[in-house]
Amino acid sequence: MKAVEITGLDVRYGAARILEEIAFSAEQGEMIGIVGPNGSGKTTLLKAMSRIVTPESGEIYYNNQDMADLTFRQLAREVAVVPQEIAIQFDYTVREIVTMGRHPFIGRFASESREDHAICTRAMKLASVDHLAETSVNAISGGERQRVLIARALAQEPKVLLLDEATSNLDISHQIEILSIIRRETVRASIISVFHDLNLASSYCDRILLLKDRQIHAMGPPAEVLTRENIRAVYGVDVIVRKHPLTGRPYILLMYDHERGAPQSTRIHILCGGGTGSELMQTLHAQGMQITTGVLNILDSDYLTAKELGIMVISEPPFSPISEESVSILKRCLTEADLIILLNMPIGRGNIENIRVLNGYKEKVVMYGMDSGIQDYSGGEATRLITDLCGCGALRIESIQEMQSFLSSKRLHEKKDKSGMII
Amino acid sequence: MSPRNPLILIALFVTLLLSMAAAVLTGPTSIPIGSILTNPVYYQIISEIRVPRVIAAVLVGAALATAGTAMQGLFRNPMADPYIIGTSAGGSLGAAISIVFLAGLGLPVFAFIGAIGSTFLVYMIARRGGKVPVETLLLTGVALSMFLSAMLSFLMYTAGKSLHQIIFWLMGGFWTVSWSQVHVGLLIPIGCVAIYIFARDINIISLGEEEAMHLGVNVEQLKVILLFISSLLAGIAVSIAGAIGFIGLITPHIMRTIVGPDHRVLLPAAILAGSILLLWADTFARTFGNEMPVGIITSFFGAPFFMYLLRRRMRA
Repeated sequence: MKAVEITGLDVRYGAARILEEIAFSAEQGEMIGIVGPNGSGKTTLLKAMSRIVTPESGEIYYNNQDMADLTFRQLAREVAVVPQEIAIQFDYTVREIVTMGRHPFIGRFASESREDHAICTRAMKLASVDHLAETSVNAISGGERQRVLIARALAQEPKVLLLDEATSNLDISHQIEILSIIRRETVRASIISVFHDLNLASSYCDRILLLKDRQIHAMGPPAEVLTRENIRAVYGVDVIVRKHPLTGRPYILLMYDHERGAPQSTRIHILCGGGTGSELMQTLHAQGMQITTGVLNILDSDYLTAKELGIMVISEPPFSPISEESVSILKRCLTEADLIILLNMPIGRGNIENIRVLNGYKEKVVMYGMDSGIQDYSGGEATRLITDLCGCGALRIESIQEMQSFLSSKRLHEKKDKSGMII
Repeated sequence: MSPRNPLILIALFVTLLLSMAAAVLTGPTSIPIGSILTNPVYYQIISEIRVPRVIAAVLVGAALATAGTAMQGLFRNPMADPYIIGTSAGGSLGAAISIVFLAGLGLPVFAFIGAIGSTFLVYMIARRGGKVPVETLLLTGVALSMFLSAMLSFLMYTAGKSLHQIIFWLMGGFWTVSWSQVHVGLLIPIGCVAIYIFARDINIISLGEEEAMHLGVNVEQLKVILLFISSLLAGIAVSIAGAIGFIGLITPHIMRTIVGPDHRVLLPAAILAGSILLLWADTFARTFGNEMPVGIITSFFGAPFFMYLLRRRMRA
């Protein structure tokens, strides 16, 4: 039995179409995150699901019951909603607000039973607001008030819990605290939540529903939906998608100047590996430099960064040594490059060829971040080669700021050369 | 519910009973308790004038307090009062029509029809696609009240010698009250109980309409019920005593600061307090005020008190 099943949902406000052809279902105990840009219809979808707005067509089922057949009272026993934030005009106490969650269960001429009070006390404990029970809701902080609304929703003992960006006005510690409380409720309820923050959605949801222009653009596990391509298509920005080291879920990094700088003529080849080159690649890429990199093994994190940025990368299959073909491509890249940056990467027998070829290009080599010592796993050869390069006067640069000022002085230098040529 | 709230309700109830007894014994003619049953004139004054008048003041006070509390909860606006959706403007116009064209014949009926009719009109104008947003309702009420007041002003302008009578009625008072009006007023307790049945729903709708829907309240239905009963209560009150101001606005305020916002306690507390306040205002009017319209007294004391509450609210 599906906890939620929606088919062919269309919503309009007057002539404006807000949602079209929405269809999805949620399993028992599943947490689904609804994401999408402003105006894509996220909040309206939630409002249609809580019968605040009436859809033009389509059906919404909760545990096989058509929502249209349920009274408000019956619906409130199935579905609870946590709003983004609400202004409460009168000074109700926290307990009074939470107790309102029992309203759909109490008869018109009855008042709360002992059991109702026990449920409310439990809900307040779960949302850790029990110590505030007798305090006015207008005398507590925003984070506490949000937890009160969650306690009220829990007091409804819903089978489906809907959240409308319930944590977006809170600081990070409260966001995590509240989402963890909610996540635990999947034991009893299915949860459908609107998120603005893609990383929060990715970390807490089993599946993500990505809305674009009133329709579902993609739906599935975070790793399938929160891809660079989908985010580009829906939000129109370039991002870097990584795996979160602890959760293994996709983690989205924003590229803050996502307008790439004007393309530069400077060609740079970056020799890196094991994640040493990612930061530099991103910085230089954003400045519009023409970058090549490699040779790298496929699945090396620097390889993934290069692929995400669309940088040309010479690659070998995982755990394979560098082939002769790759070496010849590398040499071509090094010949064309104005600058070769060698990073302090771990060097072993698999990738030492990258250093050996440098012999012919000594004058172009800049070393970056070598101060922490050479990571030599090649039995001394790497150390010897690099020391040799240093002996030939290769420049050593230690910070990204230093690198940037070096590059800009170099550009200046080039311009002077060119103007000199004109004269 | 705070454990002291039942005590407050009991104290208010006892105060009301004592006030009623005191009010019956107070008046321009001083009547010794011992001679009420022996002296037929005294008996007449007590049974035909003071008792119906005291009961009427208590009932009208209860009606205004109930309607005011319900409107403030429904509109989520502590500035709302029973007249906010056109009740007093409609009632006043109805009364003026009766005075000008029928020499006051059927005045209470006209006032009642005017009060109920204007509320109904406001509701129908604000209604769209089966829904009545409270903001629209509020603004429509203000607009229609102004329109009806313009018609009232026109009537007064052309009223000639009955102008005095209209003005006197508009200020509100109990000097014409007799047992027959008290009988009509007995509908008031029924209305109060009917509103009280929805006390928990008023709590919830005072958080907002969407919130109330999430918590299983049939919001549109609740609005119709509350508006209907409240305008009925206000309409009866207006037809008995004219448009008495400030009782419906202030009593919910005062009692909210004392018993809190839970309408299951607030409603009975406001009902008792409204009855006590209006009873004392009327007793003052007929004893020391030379039958001054009671509306003058409630506004005279009510408005400064209201300003005091506003100042306190701003500081909070």
